[in-house]
Amino acid sequence: MAEVSNIQRLCTHDGPGIRTTVFLTGCPLQCWWCHNPENRQHRPADQGHRIFYTPGKCVGCGGCQAVCPRGCHQITETDHLYNRERCIGCGRCAEACPTKALEATARTLSVEEILSIIQKDLPFYGEKGGLTLSGGEPTYQAEACFAILEGARALGISTDLETCGYFPASYCERLVGCVSLFLYDIKDTDPERHLQNTGAPLKPILENLRRIDALGGETVLRCILIHGVNDTEEHGRQLAALFRSLQHCRMIEVLPYHSIGASKWSRLGLSSRDDEKYIPSAQVIADFKQQLREAGAIVKD
Amino acid sequence: MKKFFDNPNGKRPERLDPATRDLARRMLCGENGRYLTETEAVAIDDSAAYAAMSVPQKQLCCVQAVAAKAPIRLIEGEYLVGSATLGAAKHGYTPACLAEKMDDPDYDGRFDWIGTNHVTLGFEKALKIGYKGIRKELLASLETFRAMPESAERNEKIDTLEAMYGCLEAAGLWHERNMKALESRIETSLGPIQRRYKEIYENLRNVPENPPTNFKEALQSLWFMFAFLRLTGNWPGIGRIDKMLGGFLKEDLAAGRITLDEAREYIAHFWIKGAEWCNGDHQEVFGGSGDGQYYQNIILAGLDEEGHDVTNEVTYLVLDVIEELGISDYPVSVRLRPDSDPRLYRRVAEVMKLGGGILAIYNDQLVIDSLVDFGYPVEEARNFTNDGCWEIQIPGATCFRYYSYDLLGILQRDVLKMDEEGPSHLPYKSFDELFAAFSAAGKAYLQTEIIDKTPEMLHLPFNSLFASLLTEGCFTSGRQYWDGGARYLVFAAHPGGMPDTANALLALKKLVYDDKTLTLDELVDILKADWEGYETLRLTMRNKVTYYGNDDDTADAMMVRVYDDFIDSLHSLKSIDGYLNPAGISTFGKQIKWSHSRYATPDGHKAGEYLAHNIDPTPGTDLQGATAVVKSLTKMDLRKLPNGTPLTLRLLPSVVRGADGVEAVESLLRGFVSLGGIFLQFDILDVEALKEAQKNPDEYASLSVRVSGWSARFNTLNKEFQNMIIQSTGQDA
Repeated sequence: MAEVSNIQRLCTHDGPGIRTTVFLTGCPLQCWWCHNPENRQHRPADQGHRIFYTPGKCVGCGGCQAVCPRGCHQITETDHLYNRERCIGCGRCAEACPTKALEATARTLSVEEILSIIQKDLPFYGEKGGLTLSGGEPTYQAEACFAILEGARALGISTDLETCGYFPASYCERLVGCVSLFLYDIKDTDPERHLQNTGAPLKPILENLRRIDALGGETVLRCILIHGVNDTEEHGRQLAALFRSLQHCRMIEVLPYHSIGASKWSRLGLSSRDDEKYIPSAQVIADFKQQLREAGAIVKD
Repeated sequence: MKKFFDNPNGKRPERLDPATRDLARRMLCGENGRYLTETEAVAIDDSAAYAAMSVPQKQLCCVQAVAAKAPIRLIEGEYLVGSATLGAAKHGYTPACLAEKMDDPDYDGRFDWIGTNHVTLGFEKALKIGYKGIRKELLASLETFRAMPESAERNEKIDTLEAMYGCLEAAGLWHERNMKALESRIETSLGPIQRRYKEIYENLRNVPENPPTNFKEALQSLWFMFAFLRLTGNWPGIGRIDKMLGGFLKEDLAAGRITLDEAREYIAHFWIKGAEWCNGDHQEVFGGSGDGQYYQNIILAGLDEEGHDVTNEVTYLVLDVIEELGISDYPVSVRLRPDSDPRLYRRVAEVMKLGGGILAIYNDQLVIDSLVDFGYPVEEARNFTNDGCWEIQIPGATCFRYYSYDLLGILQRDVLKMDEEGPSHLPYKSFDELFAAFSAAGKAYLQTEIIDKTPEMLHLPFNSLFASLLTEGCFTSGRQYWDGGARYLVFAAHPGGMPDTANALLALKKLVYDDKTLTLDELVDILKADWEGYETLRLTMRNKVTYYGNDDDTADAMMVRVYDDFIDSLHSLKSIDGYLNPAGISTFGKQIKWSHSRYATPDGHKAGEYLAHNIDPTPGTDLQGATAVVKSLTKMDLRKLPNGTPLTLRLLPSVVRGADGVEAVESLLRGFVSLGGIFLQFDILDVEALKEAQKNPDEYASLSVRVSGWSARFNTLNKEFQNMIIQSTGQDA
């Protein structure tokens, strides 16, 4: 079984071709800019799922209030108060909600169910498209992660893995055996900043990357660019050097920070550090890519 | 400042001569169109003589007057000559009227004759044999009738054929006048301008009277025939331009008589001419449903009669021109096959990605199979084109009309009796009983409104003399196109609102027969009251049930059931001898009109909402993205739909951004073809851009969108149509 926050069909920018992206919950990193904050924590099914609440969609019908066993929802004349501290994530309110103002952030699916959804778009995958397993960090639910990848591979479907690289070194060999392309996140190349911003050390991530490379695993390095944080020349130099040191890295993909994830934080009742000041300008992005190219890296347009 | 040809979805290439690009810009801004049709019509002076004429002779008299008197217009810089210069032609009339009626305030009352449209005429044959060849065939038929014993019917046919013959002579006269105008331009101009006129003169000298001898003559001939048809009030489709011209270009290229670049310029000018009626006004045309609706279709690629793919250099040059200029006046459909040249898939994806909905695709083999199943010979099936939007037909041999009717209306009025006042007392004890009643009502409608009305729909007092010259069957029958002359007389049945009907039935079944939340009478009474007092239930039905368009087997099964029922009903009815009633599915924007008479639906829509467009999912119900929509669609066996149906996928530009985006569009096309889709059009635009265009129409003069089977410039749509497009825009991935 797997805890899945979303399965999105027709993804066109998560690896080559048309892909179905499966998002698993749970992540060992805690990046403050996270765009899928509902996946930062993994809760086993019996502990309930966190609930998205979108106030703009609430029509005040009181359906949630009627079904909640813990009295978390209070509908007043003017307001809908949702006490998250008491919430056990049973999801009954989301089921009752007629407008999807309340939605469970995850559902429990069997690997077979997931594989059957992945197969729905087989006619569109062609030679390039297929499955992208993402998250969170997919390896966080290691058993499900391997079962999905190996299951899809057995069906002849291309398997890309979107990963932060922070997992036990022992996974590398098995992953290389069942992953077509690693979309490998390098959030930063400065060890201190990395630890500070993601809560995880950089070293094991780089070591896993080198292991995967040595085993012949193909990679695309996906690098978030955050203005005022890592849009530095030194980071560019280090990234290009990293690229050059790898045998099977296809290219670097620069992902400019954007604030689209912020609304999800508030729908989870969390405050985010999102700020427009972190968005790099078109010029900064172009310069950074140019620097990478000049230093010998292949960079995605 | 935004550059004219700029496009938010990607860069348009610049391959054409700057002068050609500038001419295109001026044409799209309406510089030409504004005064091209300043003259509404020509006058018929001898009203007494006219009054004494037979119908065909009257029609001929009008055509002759147009040929003799219509202003001749040449635009400096053009490569092709021939302009439809009369305003009434733009309104679909043969633009000639009695002198005393010229200033009649009742515009529509001035004109006696409506022209012919919604058909691809036999340009292919006409180009091949020239007017000369057509005349020969016509005379042979005329001789046959003349040899027959005297009878009223024989005389009538002879009269009709003589009038058709007269039209050819009139076309010759118009040719002569254009040649004279060119001669005088040549005399009064110098240098490169003079050289251009001389070249045009040379290209036109031989055609359309004779078969063309090279690519330029062929292109000029095709345009000239088309332009004369338009000038006399007809809006025909053109059809398979690459099939018609590819051979000429190939020979010219081999002989070194032309380069690809030069041929591209010529084709660009064909597209510029095609926009000559564009007047740049934001006026309401066609009841606000947008401009560019002259059904001047172009079909590319696909098999020929012998089963060879016709894709050639002309195919690619046409795509180049559309990519660069974005002219939307010709709706272009590409016939794709699983084994089409990969370059063709790539180029189609690249051009589609730019948006505007100018390009659409057919699933070539499925359409051919469907036509063969329907009874057409395979050679004719392979040559299929359409009526100007997407309704499939055999070109040059078909007289065509269709009728879109409201299937949801049949459910609401005939089955659920929602027109009746007071509490409901419906007899249906099971869902199957209710469905049987729906099926019977649908079948009864087909019998009385489609089958029985076919003859009257296809026999009309319109002017189709010239169209008849390009339609097989008219000579041998001695009848005009609009008098049963064509070989195939086709009146297609198009139920609309099928997705809404399926969703309504799905929700009704769930509420009444499965979950037993309400009795049928209770539900219908709630719907009659527009869900008043049941808002939570309405929202639940609207938001928490999965409907058609999400690749959900339960929901799609209901759609398949409704679809199969329609097909089976139509098949069980016998067409009147000599007529054909193929199945298609469409709304053509009628969902706006129908919204006023539709009641609330069990799937949570209130009365008056705009519901599904053609066979697209009901707006707001497809939540799984475009691939799921295609999967849902293709659960129906679309091979049973010989008249076709269009799927419109609206994608956000972000989905198709970059090189990944081209690949994605290509994969969608391949998936659509392999799954058994029939006709696919994209709109790749975001809601914000459309809202912006609504606010600042002048800055978006060339922005085109797919409306239904056609593209129109957004700013020529009225508010209702604009809002409908905005509302249904934006299926994100």
